[in-house]
Amino acid sequence: MALLRKKDDGFVGDTVALEGVGLRYDDGPEILADVSLAIPQRSFHFLTGPSGAGKTSLLSLMYLAKRPTRGGLKIFGEDVTHAPRSRLAAIRRRLGVVFQDFRLLDHMSAFDNVALPLRIAGIAETVVQRNVSELLNWVGLEQFKDAHPIVLSGGQKQRVAIARAVVSRPKLILADEPTGNVDDTIAMRLMQLFVELHKLGASVIIATHNEPLVARFPFPRLHLDDGAVSILPPLAATPASQIAFGL
Amino acid sequence: MFGIRSDLPLKRDTASRFVLWLVMVLVFMASLAVTVNSYIGVLLNDWNRSVTGTLTVQIPLVDGDEKATAAVVAKVIDVLKRHPAVAKAEAVPRAKVTELLKPWLGDNDVIADLPLPALIDVELQADGADAVAAVTASIKTAAPQAVIDDHRIWLSRVMGLAKGFGIVALTIMVLVTSALGLTIVFATRASLAEFAQVIDVLHVVGAKDSYIARQFARRALAQGMLGGLAGLALYAPALALVAWLASRVDPEILPKATLPPTHWLILAGLPLAAGFLAMLTAHVTVRRALSAKV
Repeated sequence: MALLRKKDDGFVGDTVALEGVGLRYDDGPEILADVSLAIPQRSFHFLTGPSGAGKTSLLSLMYLAKRPTRGGLKIFGEDVTHAPRSRLAAIRRRLGVVFQDFRLLDHMSAFDNVALPLRIAGIAETVVQRNVSELLNWVGLEQFKDAHPIVLSGGQKQRVAIARAVVSRPKLILADEPTGNVDDTIAMRLMQLFVELHKLGASVIIATHNEPLVARFPFPRLHLDDGAVSILPPLAATPASQIAFGL
Repeated sequence: MFGIRSDLPLKRDTASRFVLWLVMVLVFMASLAVTVNSYIGVLLNDWNRSVTGTLTVQIPLVDGDEKATAAVVAKVIDVLKRHPAVAKAEAVPRAKVTELLKPWLGDNDVIADLPLPALIDVELQADGADAVAAVTASIKTAAPQAVIDDHRIWLSRVMGLAKGFGIVALTIMVLVTSALGLTIVFATRASLAEFAQVIDVLHVVGAKDSYIARQFARRALAQGMLGGLAGLALYAPALALVAWLASRVDPEILPKATLPPTHWLILAGLPLAAGFLAMLTAHVTVRRALSAKV
């Protein structure tokens, strides 16, 4: 899809780089300890590990909802550990986040939810109309553009959320249990969207508990356990281009 | 609000009706304070203008004899008319004196029988302590029993009262302003808590703090102005009622006063001032709250 194709990534080096990162809440124990990790450009990773291992915490560091309590974190080559708060919005605009609970704004239509990042960025309304329509079409929800999230199914909500996450052509897509609230068929369709985005040039990280789903894709796993991360090889051998999404 | 898209469902906010109502009450109180202050200012200016440069001379009744008194009055007027500092000096007719007493004593024969002193109105060429002293000395020489009132003590006390009203009005304005500011601070904090999740989403999709603050500020501006207009809408009939009640009082007791254009300008500015104060307060409150994040 032309809209999502990357022209210029605008930075050199890894999309995300963590160097000895530690994270703790207040005076509690460290949720993450000495995590060093590099997410290359145009990569695809699953993020796995038992509940409470720190998957959500690791992702929230990457979308700048939290900052490391120690160590260094670079996003798009920019050191965000000590960057002033006023810098963060610009970096957040270059990444897209999908949550298990969708986090759509219930008082807005599907269209307005998807349009939100563009409007916040001050994009001209004609461009907003065109791009959002195109994206809703891509996720197969063009006929639901005026629907409010309350009337949409879980799968539909998640497709709106994915459209919102990618509407500003992010170079990094972070998804926290995106298939956690939908059935397996819908999960595969959502995964298809993520794989397409990856093919179009974005780095994708998907945190998930869904082992069978992970096993169907030839993507490496970032495995978190006890606050430490290790990179495990893909569970599937099939090239991404040959995956049957069962559509 | 104002046709501008809002990303926050602020209209569903529970605090906003309360804020509107409170701004209305505050602007109503502020406009009353402004009006009372203006009215008293106008009244005192009129009095001030009418009594500066004038003296009132009282000649007590001489031995209960009106003719003897009239002779003293004539003598004093003669002295005054030849005095270089005096512009005009004339006896106040007895009819005028009884007229002046009527509002206080009623319209009856009692006044006619009273042993009233004779009064002389004196206008000076120029107002000033030197002229007052010189004229007073001449009168005392001609009629030692004369009582001279240059209205200064009376005027300074009345002016003191006016200043007192001014300070009270200012105090009301300060209280109203701080009440409005505090209301907006707490209502904004309540909204921030109510919409914490929406605000998190806005941040995730790239909103700057200033963007979020502007949404609250715009809402506060609208609330301040709407509440202010409602306050004035409440004030208008209140003023009309008081003006009507005042018009039924004898003008000798409660003089009529035309409020100056500045008074109406200040009143018209109150909703604007309330709106801008609310807007600034909301903006600063949101910025400060958000800057404590990450």
